[in-house]
Amino acid sequence: MIDPLYLEGVIKILFVFVLISAALIISTRSLSSVLNTYTVQSFLLAAVSVLLYLIDGKSELLLLAGLTLASKVLLIPHFINRIEEKIKIRRDLDFTYLEPTTSLLLSIGLILLSYTFLSRVFGDLALSRLFFFGAVIGLSLTLMGMLVMFSRKKVITKALGYLSMENGVLMLGIFVTELPFILEVLIVIDLIILVLLTSILAVGLDSSIEEYRAKIRKLQIWNGGEAL
Amino acid sequence: MIRFYLLAMGAFLALGLFPKSHRLMNALASGNALLHLALTCTALLTLDLPVRYGPSLYLDHLNLYVELITVLGFCAAAPYAKGYTESLMEEGELDPKNLKLFYLAFNLLLVTATAALFSDNLALFWIFAELTTVCAAVLVSILSARENIDAGMKYVFIVSGAMLFAFLGLIFLFTLSARALGEGTLSWTELMENASSFSPALLLASFTFVFIGFGAKAGIAPFHTWLPDAYARAPSVSAILSGLMQNLGIYGILRTYALLRVSDSAPQASFILIAAGLFSIALAAFSMLQQRNLKRLIAFSSVEHMGLLLIGIGIGTPLALFWVLFYMLVHVLVKEALLFAAGILHRQYGSNMREDVRDVFKLQPRAAWTLILGSVAIVGMPPFPLFPAKFFILLESAEVSPYLTLAILLLLILAAASFSNFLLKAFSKVTEEGEEKGEGKETGYRKKSFHDPYVVRAGMRIPTVFMLALALLLGIWFPEPLRVLLEAIVLELGYV
Repeated sequence: MIDPLYLEGVIKILFVFVLISAALIISTRSLSSVLNTYTVQSFLLAAVSVLLYLIDGKSELLLLAGLTLASKVLLIPHFINRIEEKIKIRRDLDFTYLEPTTSLLLSIGLILLSYTFLSRVFGDLALSRLFFFGAVIGLSLTLMGMLVMFSRKKVITKALGYLSMENGVLMLGIFVTELPFILEVLIVIDLIILVLLTSILAVGLDSSIEEYRAKIRKLQIWNGGEAL
Repeated sequence: MIRFYLLAMGAFLALGLFPKSHRLMNALASGNALLHLALTCTALLTLDLPVRYGPSLYLDHLNLYVELITVLGFCAAAPYAKGYTESLMEEGELDPKNLKLFYLAFNLLLVTATAALFSDNLALFWIFAELTTVCAAVLVSILSARENIDAGMKYVFIVSGAMLFAFLGLIFLFTLSARALGEGTLSWTELMENASSFSPALLLASFTFVFIGFGAKAGIAPFHTWLPDAYARAPSVSAILSGLMQNLGIYGILRTYALLRVSDSAPQASFILIAAGLFSIALAAFSMLQQRNLKRLIAFSSVEHMGLLLIGIGIGTPLALFWVLFYMLVHVLVKEALLFAAGILHRQYGSNMREDVRDVFKLQPRAAWTLILGSVAIVGMPPFPLFPAKFFILLESAEVSPYLTLAILLLLILAAASFSNFLLKAFSKVTEEGEEKGEGKETGYRKKSFHDPYVVRAGMRIPTVFMLALALLLGIWFPEPLRVLLEAIVLELGYV
């Protein structure tokens, strides 16, 4: 058996990496690195839940880690990657409203905000320090994801912002309470549908109608993805 | 039980993938709506409410009532959709290949909305509400023109992003119930029973998050930005449907607020509701003032009405709630009539802009009169039923603060003024004798001159007249069963 204190230390280090990944999603300009960052972030989430399982021994956490790995580390990034190749946009240079530096400063504010908010809300709730920090990181991740949706222009980046928001919600869920596993499954289904929808539409956004039809045909989404 | 419903509906919808003719697809959609109408009416008349089937299906007066409103809207939209999509296809705006997708999303929207309303579990409610967003977004972007896709995306991102906050709220609620009951639950009924033992601070926090999510779904400012685009860009039918989905958001807020009423944090929650409501009305009223796009005007009027509903809920007296519920029904009736008429004008002129409307009484007299009567109804003039609804909500708001009443009243007058301003400017233009004739808009696919009246198909005309007539009827005669139903809802939500 591994020492729980050691595991807690590892989890705290992972928290830092999660925050760094959120900051990278806000500021990176190359689409493929945003996608990679998201993949890493989801992987970190899976790792955190495995470590928590080692501490707590709740089997739902292990299931959750498996689900996260399958859907958010493998399936969704693979799909978005294919879309990115099709629409031939490599970089998302445009920022609306906020430049990356401002967003980063703002996200520090958001982290502080979620810390004060949660410490007030959970004041009378006996959460251990680790779990409290997990909740704070979860909430900040959600808010930072929202910032991405606000400030980035390309649909794919917006979608990734949404996905990272959802990572934050899951993280908060893990640390604050034991959500029934079926809930997590439902959210993942919801995510997959949304990603499908938005990326199909995204193909259309940067083209006229005729081009759009041609591109959709090339994508072969409806015919089960024959030779591309 | 909800599983069986979904299975049955899944089989039913699979049927919809076979037919090739438009008539069959449309008949299936109408059949679907009528089937739901029949089921809802049977449940309302025969069941001893509230009933619960299995772990997740829960029927009470409130969700049956909201379902009734939704289904009424669908029943009217289905025949209208036939004529409307046909003319869209004639003019090449809608790809015939997408027709099947349109009807699939149309039917799925009704099924998911029904499942959302009747699920007792908040998490199920959340996920089905999310799915309605997806279906509605497909309907908005169905025309596969760039602007439509834009509007659809905006819709998905804003509403789904906000709904994630609602999910955060659900997590808080779950934690609360786990602390109070030993085991976490998200079932409406159990939460309602135990809400008084929850910690007020945490309850308020979860309410706020849930409010953000469902507020965005209902189109409350500042999360309303998807709404004008969706209304303006989407084909009229789809706009109606996404409008119906706004009631789903209000339903969620109503339920969650009922949880809070017994706790100490009720005053803060109702402050949030009233503030958001007032902000929505103000923002909508000022955006409507110089609005030149008819559908945008109608969209902002939706924001305004949702704001008034929120204020009604926030006031929190049984009388206010009674009229809020009535308001939800009438708003859908009148709004549908308006959007139907706006759709006919859009077919006629190929545009929603005020400047493009000419000779309206010669070309589309019926649609013009529907718009005029509908506007009279929507701004709350008697004899239309929005008058008593607005009147009593305003009356009750005076108990919170007379300044609130005054502010709402002024803003409502502003909204009414913008409607009349629009109608006067749009409908008073008549082509003089000898003036240049036959200048159709040359926009690629639109070759015919807009001096020929657009032939309104019977399927489009009947629902329009029907909705308006129903609204007028409700204004003159308040049916006794409806009163009993609304009072039962007020009691069930714990307002005494």
